[in-house]
Amino acid sequence: MATRKDYTKLDDVALVKCAQRSDMRAFEELVARHRDKVYARAFSMMRNEDEATDVSQEAWVKGWQRLKQFQGESSFVTWMTRIVINLCLDQLRKQKRQRAESIELLEEESGGVERQMPIVTTNPTEGLERSELRARIDRAMRQLSYEHRTVLILHEFEELEYKEIAKRMECSIGTVMSRLFYARRKMANLMASYKREEMS
Amino acid sequence: MNLELQLELQAYVDGELPARQTRRVEKLIAADPEARALVAELRATRSYLVGNEPEYSVPESREFYWSRIEREITRAEAAATGPTRQAAFHWRRWLAPLGGLAAALVLGLITLHSTDYAPLGSSLNHLAEVENASEHMGSFSFRSQAENMFVVWIYEKVEAVPTEPEPQVRPVLNDDMGVQ
Repeated sequence: MATRKDYTKLDDVALVKCAQRSDMRAFEELVARHRDKVYARAFSMMRNEDEATDVSQEAWVKGWQRLKQFQGESSFVTWMTRIVINLCLDQLRKQKRQRAESIELLEEESGGVERQMPIVTTNPTEGLERSELRARIDRAMRQLSYEHRTVLILHEFEELEYKEIAKRMECSIGTVMSRLFYARRKMANLMASYKREEMS
Repeated sequence: MNLELQLELQAYVDGELPARQTRRVEKLIAADPEARALVAELRATRSYLVGNEPEYSVPESREFYWSRIEREITRAEAAATGPTRQAAFHWRRWLAPLGGLAAALVLGLITLHSTDYAPLGSSLNHLAEVENASEHMGSFSFRSQAENMFVVWIYEKVEAVPTEPEPQVRPVLNDDMGVQ
């Protein structure tokens, strides 16, 4: 008598191999395992639940369609995260084209505000529990423009080099460096202001 | 401190400077307290971000989330294979009538061609066996300019008995066509 395969007991490598042979139940298990991680990356970039859900689901569909190209050079979840990042960047570029360039954006590109910010010399994360720290990072990330947020995500969370970020964001390495610099300066000052709020 | 120097300090923090530039920047940091403070801030910001990415969960149940993915995959696969199958079906559907039409055209052209080169006196009435590729089918054409008429007669070949010589023209067909 044939027994039903227990996909939950297989590791990612085995599941990917099954899925590459068009086993959709194996792929479903991969989705179940990594859906939060892929969604989290989409949400951190889009900052909108509906858009993040749509983009992450689109990423899974693309993942299935391109699965035969996956050679296992990185982990499966890293590969999936790269797909969702590219989709988010496409989506954000479309949105940017649709909205008019604002004065605020021009200022951010030229670093009008961030360069004048005082250097933070105290530790704004001192005494914070990890969950509190994450909540504050989340709050600060929300305050950033999408260009600054994206470059921080790609550099600090995805650990990509300047060159790779420039390729993905379709801009020069110089632009990546200045965006990253302003994003960090703004982040440092926002975190310091939350600390001051807490103290007062 | 200008922007170029600030970006150089950041590249130093991120390990993106070549060795020679790194040594130069290290000397600068040692000599300039402002540069030192900026490097400390950049390092601190980096250190609390790395490994503390906010976590978010899909705001839908596993089944609901998967159902849409599955539906999209199925729809995309059907869309990718659908037109090919339909095209093949269309091609097969038109095969018989197009084949018939082509055969009639070929027979017509051959007949007209033979008429053009025939002796003048014999062009009023023609009866000829036309070559065709099918081993099961034979054909005759008949053209009368006086009557302004052109007929192609297609018939099924009866298998010849191997021991008997095959007749050139089957009399029964001549009778059928009313040709003397």
